Amino acid sequence: MTYTTAAARPSLSVLGLLRKYAILLVLIGLVVFFSALSPYFLTAQNLTNILVQNAYVIIAAVGLSFVMISGGMDLSIGYQMSVVGVVTAVCMMWFGLPVPVSIGIGLLSGVGLGLINGIASITLKVHSLIITLGTMTIFQGLSYIISAQSVIINLPPEFKFIGQGYVGGWLPVSVILMVVVVASAAFLLNFTALGRMIYAIGGNEEASHLSGIAVTKVKVIVYALCGFFVALAAIVLFARSGSAASSTGPGTEFTAMTAAVLGGISFKGGEGKMWGLVTGVLILGVLGNGMQLIGLNTYAQYIVKGMVLLAAVGFDMYQKRPRTKRRAA
Amino acid sequence: MTNPGDGTSAAALLLSSVTKTYPGVVALADVSLSFNAGEVHAILGENGAGKSTLIKAIAGAIVPDSGTITVAGTTHREMTPAAARAAGIEVIYQEFNLVPTLSVPENICLGEYGGWRADFGAMRRRARELLDELGVAIDPETLVRDLPSSQQQLVEIAKALAKRPRVLIMDEPTAPLSVAEVESLFRMVRKAREGGACILYISHRMDEIFALADRVSVLRDGRHVGTLAIGDTDRDGLIRLMVGRTLSDAYPSRPAPTREVALEVRSLTGNGGRDISFSLHRGEILGVAGLVGAGRTEMAKVIFGAAKLESGEILLDGKRVAFRTPTQAIAAGIGLIPENRKEEGCFLDQSIRWNISIAALKRITRSLLVDRKAEQGIARHYFDRLRVKAPSLEQRVGHLSGGNQQKVVIAKTLAGQSRVMIFDEPTRGIDVGARAEIYRLMTDLAAEGIAILMITSDMEELLGMSDRILVLHEGRVTGLIPREGATQEAVLALASSSTESLAA
Repeated sequence: MTYTTAAARPSLSVLGLLRKYAILLVLIGLVVFFSALSPYFLTAQNLTNILVQNAYVIIAAVGLSFVMISGGMDLSIGYQMSVVGVVTAVCMMWFGLPVPVSIGIGLLSGVGLGLINGIASITLKVHSLIITLGTMTIFQGLSYIISAQSVIINLPPEFKFIGQGYVGGWLPVSVILMVVVVASAAFLLNFTALGRMIYAIGGNEEASHLSGIAVTKVKVIVYALCGFFVALAAIVLFARSGSAASSTGPGTEFTAMTAAVLGGISFKGGEGKMWGLVTGVLILGVLGNGMQLIGLNTYAQYIVKGMVLLAAVGFDMYQKRPRTKRRAA
Repeated sequence: MTNPGDGTSAAALLLSSVTKTYPGVVALADVSLSFNAGEVHAILGENGAGKSTLIKAIAGAIVPDSGTITVAGTTHREMTPAAARAAGIEVIYQEFNLVPTLSVPENICLGEYGGWRADFGAMRRRARELLDELGVAIDPETLVRDLPSSQQQLVEIAKALAKRPRVLIMDEPTAPLSVAEVESLFRMVRKAREGGACILYISHRMDEIFALADRVSVLRDGRHVGTLAIGDTDRDGLIRLMVGRTLSDAYPSRPAPTREVALEVRSLTGNGGRDISFSLHRGEILGVAGLVGAGRTEMAKVIFGAAKLESGEILLDGKRVAFRTPTQAIAAGIGLIPENRKEEGCFLDQSIRWNISIAALKRITRSLLVDRKAEQGIARHYFDRLRVKAPSLEQRVGHLSGGNQQKVVIAKTLAGQSRVMIFDEPTRGIDVGARAEIYRLMTDLAAEGIAILMITSDMEELLGMSDRILVLHEGRVTGLIPREGATQEAVLALASSSTESLAA
């Protein structure tokens, strides 16, 4: 025997399926749990609320997951959102530019911030965790300077429509955007050559380089894509809140990171799926919403969310362990 | 005492009816072996024959399903790592087991600190004594991470010997070592044997086994198929025992190379290489010999665009090229099978299909999308051609044996449609059966007109496969030996020649 067949295909067994979709079961379990505890939970209104509240998180997390799958990390996305939101608002309110033009400028500035991260991590050859720790602080300063530390209120209704509007009276615009983003990201990752290369670089950067993948180019594209999605998330968030302040946005990086890890996007890179990511965000969303409904305060919610993350990561390690042992033969 | 071969010395280690199964595979089946004090006992077997499981059972890293292990007069039903250590069993695993950020003495004395105070002076004295005794010239003040991998291996061995073990198990200890270092390793092993230690020596390299071992035991598919005194057997006999059949001619013959130059290197300088010139013909296998650190891999990286060419010229099919990235080299038709399969060659978490197609993305991409059908076709083609042994194309590469992983890496490079292929240590850590298949494949490729540059530290392979042999020493070419003149002595003389004496 030079290979074992038993350990090779766990996905065919019931146990294997269970392992693969455990995270989905957790979400379903939570929904059932909160439905039993609160009559208000399982209503169309509440479920729509959860989706609307989390649409921007999912869009930002999609951006982050591109970076994570390629083996990097981006701590700066919270302040990227802050900069993009403030830039867009300043264009609309202070410079009087039309809404679509302002949004375009906002999105471009997001791509620009992503490019800064990408180029910095490539030229400085330092792990992107450190790079984005630095750029995070830079973006923070930038955002407050652009907004002159003020809160820009009364954003135009056409703009707010993106975060607050409904199509046909029931379908939130932000949720439509979110679905489009997730679908195109999944398509990009699964069906395009670029997607292959992103997984390859995250899985083994040196082998990718020697296999002829233009590692540098792909990384720059990855950070630019991340910047774009994060900018879109910022626009959804600021449109929902209706006003723009530099303090809006930061914090998203940790929610997105938590959701990504919950959803099976490895810190080491090279693996992760969009459905997992969405499930991860929704678990956090459902937890927050459900606990609110049953009357747990915000601080108790933090404790529960942290514990859920540790449990998920622990389970992941646990289910991976026996496999490596079996390979010993 | 029922030792086959030797009835005089006492058994230092006795395995009786050890069986270990994993789901889907019997790793060890009723294995009984006896190892004597004061002998070097080689263990041979193909990858997957059960050697690693055997070591782990002895070291207490795994618990066998049944059977006992007797060491120092005590019989263990369940060996534990602590009991193994207490009984004087030391293992040098293939994987690196030193702390890179600590110095050499701290590593050698690791786990021995008595009391609350670390006595660095004593540690340093002890390390120096030991290294001197072993005849290894390593500065004890160095941090382990600053040592080249061959010296790290010697430190690892010194660390094990410092414990004065009763039983010393060495798993492929020479893999990272140069010829000279192998000699000092042999000295260390012989010294330990004279001191009465029992050494279990695991290696794929036959010449080492014949140079060092007193007896040899062969495992096949988890079974013990024989133990022989080294004088009673020869290379072919052992291979027959290992694979259970006769391998037809390890180094197949092939037509003579053409006179057409595929790759020409003129005065290549960069990445440690200095003024290297040679030409490689279509259909030729040009062996590249040299000690560890001679700059062979470094030269290959320059040709492949993975390191900078400072001066000199590289001509591919007569046209001057200068690759700044491997992407450009691959597009021009150069392929590299890197030295470290796992770190540089494959993507362990991905499937065989995925691995093969990653270097051929250009061929299977239609308007930015990966054409699954074309991908499947290419992957299947090379999977079959290389006879990768796996249940399906969707098998994760991390689950394959070393030989099959190497085949996948070669398949990946072939899928990139190379006309010049650089094989860096093509068979390192690969068993005899898979080795023969890789040789056959290289022969076929050469016969098809592909030019092959083969960097290898395996002397038999070098002499058996090469049409000509290029020898490097400290980044310079010290000789180019034609097939007729190729002998081990000639290669070694050039590989270790000092820079002054090579002018002739």
